[in-house]
Amino acid sequence: MASPLTTGALTTALRAIVGESHVLSESLDVLTYECDALPHLRETPVAVVMPGSADEVQRVVGLCAEAGIPFVARGHGTGLSGGATPVAGGVVISLARMNRVLRIDIPNQRVTVQPGVTNLEITRQVAPFGFYYAPDPSSQQVCSIGGNVAENSGGAHCLKYGFTVHHVLAADLVLPSGEVVTLGGAFADSPGPDLLGLVIGSEGTLGIVTEITVRIVRRPASVQTLLAAFPTIDAGGAAVSDIIAAGIIPAAIEMMDELAIQAAEASVHPGFPQAASLLIVELDGALSEVTAGMALVEEICRTRGTTHLERALDDTQRARIWKGRKGAFAAMGRVSPNYYVQDGVVPRSRLSDVLHRIRDLSQRSGLRIANVFHAGDGNLHPLICYDDRVPGQAAHAAAVAAEILTYCLDAGGSLTGEHGIGLDKAPYMAQMFSADDLSLMQQVRRVFDPNGVCNPGKVFPTPRLCGEVPGPYREHPAERAGLAERV
Amino acid sequence: MSVTPAGGLDAIVGPAGLRGPDVTRDRISSVVPTLVAEPDTPEQVAQVLAWCARERQTVVLRGAGTKMGWGRVPSDVDVLLSMHRLNRVIAHEHGDLTTTVEAGTRLGDLNEALARHGQYLPIDPPSGDGATVGGLLATNDSGPLRHRFGTPRDLIIGIQMATTEGVLAKAGGRVVKNVAGYDLSKLLTGSFGSLAAITSATFKLSPLPRDSGTVVIATPDDADLSQLIREVMDSQVDLTSFEVAVDVGLAESAAGSRHILLRCCSLTGSVAPQLEELTRFVSATPRRVDVVTGQHEHALWRRVPVLSGDSTRAAAVRVSWLPADLDRVLLAAREATAEIPALLNGRAALGAGQILLGGNAEQQAHAVERLRSSSAIGNVVLMRGSSDLKSRVDVWGPPRNIQSVMAALKNAFDPHGVLNAGRGPV
Repeated sequence: MASPLTTGALTTALRAIVGESHVLSESLDVLTYECDALPHLRETPVAVVMPGSADEVQRVVGLCAEAGIPFVARGHGTGLSGGATPVAGGVVISLARMNRVLRIDIPNQRVTVQPGVTNLEITRQVAPFGFYYAPDPSSQQVCSIGGNVAENSGGAHCLKYGFTVHHVLAADLVLPSGEVVTLGGAFADSPGPDLLGLVIGSEGTLGIVTEITVRIVRRPASVQTLLAAFPTIDAGGAAVSDIIAAGIIPAAIEMMDELAIQAAEASVHPGFPQAASLLIVELDGALSEVTAGMALVEEICRTRGTTHLERALDDTQRARIWKGRKGAFAAMGRVSPNYYVQDGVVPRSRLSDVLHRIRDLSQRSGLRIANVFHAGDGNLHPLICYDDRVPGQAAHAAAVAAEILTYCLDAGGSLTGEHGIGLDKAPYMAQMFSADDLSLMQQVRRVFDPNGVCNPGKVFPTPRLCGEVPGPYREHPAERAGLAERV
Repeated sequence: MSVTPAGGLDAIVGPAGLRGPDVTRDRISSVVPTLVAEPDTPEQVAQVLAWCARERQTVVLRGAGTKMGWGRVPSDVDVLLSMHRLNRVIAHEHGDLTTTVEAGTRLGDLNEALARHGQYLPIDPPSGDGATVGGLLATNDSGPLRHRFGTPRDLIIGIQMATTEGVLAKAGGRVVKNVAGYDLSKLLTGSFGSLAAITSATFKLSPLPRDSGTVVIATPDDADLSQLIREVMDSQVDLTSFEVAVDVGLAESAAGSRHILLRCCSLTGSVAPQLEELTRFVSATPRRVDVVTGQHEHALWRRVPVLSGDSTRAAAVRVSWLPADLDRVLLAAREATAEIPALLNGRAALGAGQILLGGNAEQQAHAVERLRSSSAIGNVVLMRGSSDLKSRVDVWGPPRNIQSVMAALKNAFDPHGVLNAGRGPV
């Protein structure tokens, strides 16, 4: 099959497809593309190619397939697990130029976009009609829909509204062979196995999506947001369980612990009360339902000994509360020089147990750990504080992070709720899945990518990665620039 | 080497797990299987599949058998693999709103167990409470609750499956939020037992509604019906179900019935004001509006999803459309079924439902072809129909550009082509 291509011949061939200025190969030019928002894992690609159309993507992939050159698709590089880290000797296919909204169909409640369109842009486009796009990762101002599809992105409101996979109706996929297929479609219920559902969340290992149709959701008639402080973590955790048990499915339930509250206060000044734990509970829907539900939630919080209840009465107050929550990650910089973030999930009923184990680990390890997380669905985001200037502390933090993952798995949870496996957590997959499980997944991968050229080395453990540990957090340039926040 | 079909199978499932067919109950369309295997554990299911692959014996999976008429008429079936003994609710983590359940468990039995903690799996398929969770996943079948909760593919969060290599593999997990690894539960959803056998599944659950009420609207013309659907879609009303049901068959039935059903489920005390608001919102001439609650509502919703499941002789066709195009859909459906009784019902805001076709096989085949030729209607799949009808039209419809991937997946999971005996869709 493939005759080896020299770098020069490759870039020439790529330029012939996408145009002279849309291929980067000088080392300075490709620097930005060496990592995504997991900056400690880096690789220099041979070239970065920026196709402007689905047809160009298809031809670039076809060229790579022909020449046996590995490729990695990249949206806007906000991923937190190294899913878009380049592959040695490979090409990065950036979808950033494909940022057009193609069709807005309000009567049928759907929008068709190219993969480089940002998550929030969809909402911007349909907001005048009273609609929005539901999945809301905290990076939504900058992250791309193509990346959301690759990662099956969630967000604070996925407790009620689900993930990307619940909101995508159709996608055009360029297979690693260069062939183009349509998954799903304008009409519901395409017969046969749900390949669209399989491809969403496959972290760019099964192909590249070039056109995506998402459904949009009508703005709810009413939204109410409650802030509740508790004297202990357990009391907050128990309130979460009680709310779920009462038959209420809030749009979001977020939890922050003492250290996270301090950081948020130091940084964005949301006016949070000092407490061992803080809950943000948001209900939406019909006014009568939201009002009845909120009364129940407040009663539950009182029963669990809340020390401070505050209902946001208008959009300004709501925005202030959410700013404190969504800015909490970036705020950690105020209390610690460096931090490492985890994304493990535990069953909701095990939240308290696991948080206790994390607290014990913090005391034992001497590293402070802040917790800011999606309590409603058990998705933890422990932030392990450390100082890179202290020799060995980064590695220590990484080991602590790895131990937290084992707590999550012990409790019957998962390695990752929304950040993805990528390169970062691939070494841990064998702790969650058996050899048979992984082998079947690999078999599926080979159906799509028999030659192993599409984002190789991601998701599944490889011998090369087994000894590696997930690395510490470093601020991404987009965060520094104030463009992105982490969930 | 000639193979005695039972040779080795009895050792896997034991004498209690292997029997000859009952020519009536075990029939698949017109085909009677040679043997019926009834394994008791997931390991046995895996071993039976491995045996079938090794011995090149075709095998069809069955849960409760509520949808055995679906799919193409099979080639010869050597083994009917019944999952009905795998009927245990493995876990109900009510604090987490999740359950893990064996594939042969009937929906009704599962929901009875879940109700002890005020929860349920929100699926109300045409095949009814007797359907098994494995069968619901394999067909991705759903009913009016789809409007709020989606189809089984939207509710499944973890899966265990048995492959033709005799392996038990899992994907997903037991937590509601999880992106680790490939979501093979989606791949198995809609696979109709053609790739592997689902042995157990984990679902996210919902609290049982504390209160409920339904507004039923009858209108005498298609234009008003479409208008009403657009108005409701564009409003902020929060519905659990949003159904449309229209008599489309027989040319003279343009005077037939047209109904919209709007269901509100919510916390105690908040349903009544929502129903009042809804009634105000939809009331206009020439519509007739009724509010149904309590036992009457319960009876109404038990009737709606099984409309297409129970009518004895009618063929059932799954159809999809763009929700705002309903008037075009009705026009096309009326043209296609001008000579036979026909009823369209489905999820108004999702454009997903079914058409029941009366008449004889020739007339039904003609209607299916006409429906397929309409640009307003998509994914016309014949779910239930006579062998005669299935010999006239393909069950699954024209191939799409995804067919090569489907075929490659089929080959990877079932290299000897023993699963599902050609019934499709892969």
